Amino acid sequence: MKDQLTEAFVSTKAIFRDGGLVIDAPAGARNAALSNRFYFYLMMPAIIVLAAITLYPFFWLIYMSLHTVDLGLADDTWNNLKNWTRLGRDRKFQEGWWLLLKYSSLCMFFEVTLGVMIALILNRSRYEKILVTIFLMPMMMAPVIAGLVWYYMYNSTFGWYHWLMQSLGILGDKSILGSSSTAMIGIVMVDIWQWTPLIILIVLAGLKRVPRDQLEANMVDGAGDIRNFFQVTLPNLYPFLLIAILLRFMDNFRFIDAILVLTGGGPANSTKILPTYLFDVSFSFFKLGRGAAIALTLLAVTIVLGMILVRVFERPSSTRSNSGGT
Amino acid sequence: MASISIKSVWKYYGDTPAVKDLNLECLDGEFVCILGPSGCGKSSTMRMLAGLEHITAGDILFNDKRINDLPPKDRNLAMVFENYALYPHKSVYDNMANALKIQKVDKATIDKKVKWAAELLELSPLLDRKPLELSGGQKQRCAIGRAIVREPELFLFDEPIAHLDAKLRAHMRSELKIMQRRLKTTMIYVTHDQLEALSMADRIAVMRDGVLQQVGTPSEIYNQPANQWVAGFIGEPAMNFLDCSLTESNGHLHLSHNAFSFALNAEHIAKLNGSAKEHSQVHMGIRPEHVTISARATPEHPIKGEVLVTELLGGDLLVEANVNDTRVTIKTDPDYIADMGDTCYLGMDTSRWHLFERESGVSLI
Ligand SMILES: Nc1ncnc2c1ncn2[C@@H]1O[C@H](COP(=O)(O)OP(=O)(O)O)[C@@H](O)[C@H]1O
Ligand SMILES: [Mg+2]
Repeated sequence: MKDQLTEAFVSTKAIFRDGGLVIDAPAGARNAALSNRFYFYLMMPAIIVLAAITLYPFFWLIYMSLHTVDLGLADDTWNNLKNWTRLGRDRKFQEGWWLLLKYSSLCMFFEVTLGVMIALILNRSRYEKILVTIFLMPMMMAPVIAGLVWYYMYNSTFGWYHWLMQSLGILGDKSILGSSSTAMIGIVMVDIWQWTPLIILIVLAGLKRVPRDQLEANMVDGAGDIRNFFQVTLPNLYPFLLIAILLRFMDNFRFIDAILVLTGGGPANSTKILPTYLFDVSFSFFKLGRGAAIALTLLAVTIVLGMILVRVFERPSSTRSNSGGT
Repeated sequence: MASISIKSVWKYYGDTPAVKDLNLECLDGEFVCILGPSGCGKSSTMRMLAGLEHITAGDILFNDKRINDLPPKDRNLAMVFENYALYPHKSVYDNMANALKIQKVDKATIDKKVKWAAELLELSPLLDRKPLELSGGQKQRCAIGRAIVREPELFLFDEPIAHLDAKLRAHMRSELKIMQRRLKTTMIYVTHDQLEALSMADRIAVMRDGVLQQVGTPSEIYNQPANQWVAGFIGEPAMNFLDCSLTESNGHLHLSHNAFSFALNAEHIAKLNGSAKEHSQVHMGIRPEHVTISARATPEHPIKGEVLVTELLGGDLLVEANVNDTRVTIKTDPDYIADMGDTCYLGMDTSRWHLFERESGVSLI
């Protein structure tokens, strides 16, 4: 308590020295200093728990990536960065990255485009509430279940999706998942089906915040609907799209439940995106050290992508309507 | 350029009417002010003219063509919004250039026009700023700029200078008027400030609670208000109203207040048109500048009162006097010396009176 007071006192003196003008600055500053400490202590338990459940595994992951880990059969041994150097020669690791980026970008492109279009339609609809509820259903499903549902729909003997595509002459006898040239499309469609609703939901929230006055001013300026969308609606949606895309990118890097159910990475590894390969390495071959190294590369790329996205979508000025005020 | 006619237009928001049976003509090149207190339906009218609000009933014609269902982009009008409605992502320059860019005007012309407008509105140093970096007054000028760089057929200005400070407002009043005269573009200008309306408009439409009260030139509105409400709304300081009754004695009609009584002259009686009996309870209205004051009783100053308070307004002195429990405001010369409690004598210019029926407020004289 005593040194808190002295610190608060020092900081108030600093404020005076820096030319604080407000009469009750000392009291205010002291309160601020005291209460910041106080809040910090209040948060301590939460911080400790969070650190234990996130930081500890994180450092353990780094530790594992530097050792040969043998699930308790033998002691972990330092292996001169072998886990890391092997990645450079690992074709499946590199393929996995390439497939992951392809998978992610395809999902993102279609989900965002479809999501924005559907949200625009729903936003104008009188039955918005009911329609949104219906549209949200796929999202409520556990990804494993979604995978199973589509697994059966894709089935080449009794799946109605397969039957439909076959009748239209688009697919042959083989299921969409059965050929290495189309399996990727198969898993992308499931992701689109399940996660476009999330984009719809976020974009709908964004559309409600697009300032009407700007839309109206643009209309009076002579803009039609399409121009109005690109000039006013879209810039005002950027922060919402950023959230949506970030969420989806990170999910694509993590959620492989549906893929494991649908293809397990096949056929011929054509859908073995990096997280599924990571799953194989760690939990099929139990090379936990190598798995940890792969996981860390995923983590690093996620962080970098996140930062790039924030940079791209961040706008210097706020998107709020600038009405009122003098 | 366009002539506008608004024919029996109604606007309902849900069950509440905002504009009731509005009829208004606006000639080609005319400057019409819609004047009224806030909430009287001025903005609703503008938004219907701009095509931003559905017209519940009635028709709006541009050049005798019904445009009820025409989308805003096809109406070729420029609007200044009450709340600026600037594009926050765009610089002041791009805000102003937006409409011209949409019209695919070439860059050099856009640049010339934007610079011209910026010069006029004293915005030149701010062209690169974003709206959020502007003060309220600057935003408002930017919004005006966005409208005047175009050459539309119709200007709709919704309280465009309400947020400027007094000096700039006076400056903008004359600038806007000069600009409108020069461009000869039809202008519908909304304001709640009667001074703005009186000083700028060719004609004023006075609205109250969604109902049009009177349309006329500024001098008609000022000198021949259609009813007591308009009379009280126009003019600063406001018109005095005194409870009076019309009485007949010795075959002469008299206007009687509990402090005075005047005989009506032939002109008054002609205007009353023999209907005096039905309107025996009236309000007499007279503007403060038409009441004279004197420290001593004279034939011109027969009404005795007591000075309540004086207020010096630069070139004028306002005196409030109590005349038999009625408050009367007098506008006089600053050299009149009066203290609280002094006795004073008032005279009224009988040619400047107004009589309003007490119940309905309808103007009688
Ligand atoms: N979008 C709206 N929904 C419901 N009521 C409205 C709406 N806009 C205006 N009103 C109501 O209509 C009346 C007139 O409003 P408005 O035209 O904005 O008046 P003014 O511009 O003269 O202040 C007000 O009572 C206001 O509350
Ligand atoms: Mg208004």
